[in-house]
Amino acid sequence: MSSIFPAEDYSPIALILLLPLLGAFVNGIWGHRLGKPAVKLMALAAVGGSFLVCVATVVQLAFTGGEHEHHRLAWTAWEWMHTTGGLQRSSVPIDMRFSVDTLSGTMMLIVTGVGFLIHVYSTAYMAHDKSFARFFCYLNLFIFAMLVLILGDNLPVLFVGWEGVGLCSYLLIGFWYEHLPNAAAGKKAFIANRIGDFGLIVAMFLLVHYTGALDWVGMQSGAHSLMDTPADAFQIHIWPPGGGTYPDIAGLPLHVLNPAKPFTITAATAVGLMLLLGCTGKSAQIPLYVWLPDAMAGPTPVSALIHAATMVTAGVYLVCRMSFVFALSPFVMACIAVIGALTALLAASIALVQNDIKKILAYSTVSQLGFMFIGVGVGAFTAGFFHVITHAFFKACLFLCAGSVIHAMHARIHDGDAAQDIRNMGGLGKYMRITRWTFLVSTLAIIGCPGLSGFFSKDEILFRAYVNHPVNPFAQRLAAFHQDVWVWPTWLGPAIYFAGLIAAAMTAFYMVRCYILTFEGEFRGWTIGRPSMFKSNPDIDPHDPDAHHEDLKEPGRPPHESPHAMTYPLIILATFAAFAGLLNPAPLTKHLPIEHWLEPVFESTKDSIITRPDADHLTWSLALGGIAAFAIGTWLAYWMYMQSQGEPARRLAASQPALHRLLLDKWRVDELYDWAVISLVDALADTFAWFDEWVVDGLLAKVTSVVVAALGNILRVFQTGVVHGYAALMVVGMACLGWFFVAPHPATSMTESNGDYTLTAGPGIGYQYRWDADGNGTFDSDKFGDQTSVKLHLDAGASKTVQLEVKNAFGLTRSTKIVVKRPEPSASAQLVEVGQN
Amino acid sequence: MIPVTHFVMLSAVLFSIGGIGFLWNRNVLITLMSIEVMLNAVNLAFIAFNRIHPEALTGQLFAFFLIAAEAAEVAVGLAIVLSLFRLKRTVRSDEADLLRN
Repeated sequence: MSSIFPAEDYSPIALILLLPLLGAFVNGIWGHRLGKPAVKLMALAAVGGSFLVCVATVVQLAFTGGEHEHHRLAWTAWEWMHTTGGLQRSSVPIDMRFSVDTLSGTMMLIVTGVGFLIHVYSTAYMAHDKSFARFFCYLNLFIFAMLVLILGDNLPVLFVGWEGVGLCSYLLIGFWYEHLPNAAAGKKAFIANRIGDFGLIVAMFLLVHYTGALDWVGMQSGAHSLMDTPADAFQIHIWPPGGGTYPDIAGLPLHVLNPAKPFTITAATAVGLMLLLGCTGKSAQIPLYVWLPDAMAGPTPVSALIHAATMVTAGVYLVCRMSFVFALSPFVMACIAVIGALTALLAASIALVQNDIKKILAYSTVSQLGFMFIGVGVGAFTAGFFHVITHAFFKACLFLCAGSVIHAMHARIHDGDAAQDIRNMGGLGKYMRITRWTFLVSTLAIIGCPGLSGFFSKDEILFRAYVNHPVNPFAQRLAAFHQDVWVWPTWLGPAIYFAGLIAAAMTAFYMVRCYILTFEGEFRGWTIGRPSMFKSNPDIDPHDPDAHHEDLKEPGRPPHESPHAMTYPLIILATFAAFAGLLNPAPLTKHLPIEHWLEPVFESTKDSIITRPDADHLTWSLALGGIAAFAIGTWLAYWMYMQSQGEPARRLAASQPALHRLLLDKWRVDELYDWAVISLVDALADTFAWFDEWVVDGLLAKVTSVVVAALGNILRVFQTGVVHGYAALMVVGMACLGWFFVAPHPATSMTESNGDYTLTAGPGIGYQYRWDADGNGTFDSDKFGDQTSVKLHLDAGASKTVQLEVKNAFGLTRSTKIVVKRPEPSASAQLVEVGQN
Repeated sequence: MIPVTHFVMLSAVLFSIGGIGFLWNRNVLITLMSIEVMLNAVNLAFIAFNRIHPEALTGQLFAFFLIAAEAAEVAVGLAIVLSLFRLKRTVRSDEADLLRN
């Protein structure tokens, strides 16, 4: 195999990428004509084929290269562009190049594998949608963009995929764009991501400036220049901007702006913070998480694939990918971990009280992404990435179960919001057994039930948060510059650990609440969808026979289990959700396959991460904390909603109405952004709109149009429309032109240097010349000749009149007089000449 | 042998007749014919000058090009005249002033 496909030219990568692109192309162009079965076949074959090649690639990757060696299979599509960078300002090639190592190999298996299952599910879920082909076109395009993101061998290629998944996310959130809020949610996601993209672009500029490379290998080998430049280790001056000091200008005491000590950061910190901004946008962390809950406006399989399993983990993937940069800056690592912890807490607290099943899962996703950020932030890159893997299984399964439930509810209720409200569900476990059991397994996995996958991944993250702390590998060198080196405080790790425990307990509570309200007890949906409801909702036409299946007399059909195409993916995903933990069963054994598999990728960060000496003794006591969080959350939810039928929850909400309202309103963060950011932007836009309306349209456009209209009215008089008039004018024009050609034109040009003048006559057809160069009034020769130029010398102040006569082919002659005068040298020029003498 | 001057004089006279006819007459068909006369005058001049330089053949060659151009011009011109007649029921150019002002 390795002789057919050498590691440096591993062309199967092209197949992995192009199959989904082909699917998107065919379904996008011919989808409508092909019909649903063909579209289905095309989409499934594209992703399935891609998955098979991915498996083959990973197998090959596993059997090539030595132990602990960072081995990769690469393929260059084409040479893209060049830039200059690095401290030596050398040429930096940027190629359209893709590579697979253990990290990207694992990620691409998840994307194509989970993606394939979700494609299968979608064929049933979207079966009755009128835009079936468009849906699968977008979905295949998403898989392609995500694979470009994962497999890109340098940051610009990754960025192409990064933008591509953003675009597909936008298209799929607004898939049902006829409904205005869906389109608005799509825009919100896109704009929030753009803010993050700004950070990623700036990070790229900084990286190419300092490391002189943008591909993974080159950046890793050049990463030390982010810390270690000869002149100044703290290269980036935040205040005063760009370095230097403020002098007093015109009596203004600007020197007060000079700080006692310039505020500087290392380039590694700057790059890390900018990358982090990009990651918070894509991975929905504080402050840019607001788009993800709204993104649930898209079809549910999209929520499962893009907004839970794959795209939103791209930020975590990027942190893992760029771990060699993040490891250089403990401050950025702390920022990542703190942002992750805060996001996990905030999102979990919002999820406690939500009633929309997809909103609960969305906030749960934000919260779990927070856990992943904690993991990578404390330097446990493997643990963070392992949570990406397990989360992909159980969260995809949960979302697909939610889709199955909504599918069943839709048979009774045709109002999207009411069909997703868990207050209208209940008792669905009786009607849909497969959905119920798979949901239960995934719920137990996500809340960290011991033995299931979520327990192992979350426990490992919390354990690492407690025992790990990053240190600056360049601390001594930085100290040599007499700068304060930021040190990870000892209390931060335990604080993050306990914040994570609280978030984990809340996770257990809201997930079990969601499960109980949806699947246990009695079905509460019988009374939903009565005619009185339709009156309040103008979108529903009561005369449409498809709009509702409910009337006051008939109880209607009960909810039903979904077709096989939907339940089989659930079963497969639930199986993985249950057993994926065995890939990295951290507290049980020292034999950790995933850790071993990913070890070469994170080799370079080893020096930066320090583990407490007593870590091994703490393993089980810290794991007990996670188990306790799971037990407390689960028991609380069970007691409140199962044993007491939700009565304690209602009493609690009634006793704390303000807090309950605040949580229901999602901490009013959207309102805060509206007030702080969006209103400012709107005000700016209003100013420009005013300028456009009154200055551009009102003044500029009107004045221009009046001038043009006036000129037009004058010119209009000449447009008689009579062909003969035009013909006569043409004859006059021809006559003038003819006269110009017949008459000779004596024109001269003159050059001068130090009083030596050269006069040259212009050329023409059959021209002959005679000159009067000495200025005596008679021509030097009676005959015309070929002499085109004359030379003469003049003293300062002297002048001469030269005469030229030209004869053309028709024998016509004409003469001209040229007065050549040499000016008196000016006073200053004389002084210079005297000085030279 | 008739001197070339005679041919050129004839060509000039024909060209002038064509030009005056073109400017004077309001009938589009006669205008077209006048153009033909002018073009043929030019053709005659080409052939005549070719007699001075018989080895070059440029004049005769250009005469052929001109005949081809004339044919195209007549085809387009007559089509325009026909459309004009269909539209305005006239072939007088001073009555065809749709583009006035």
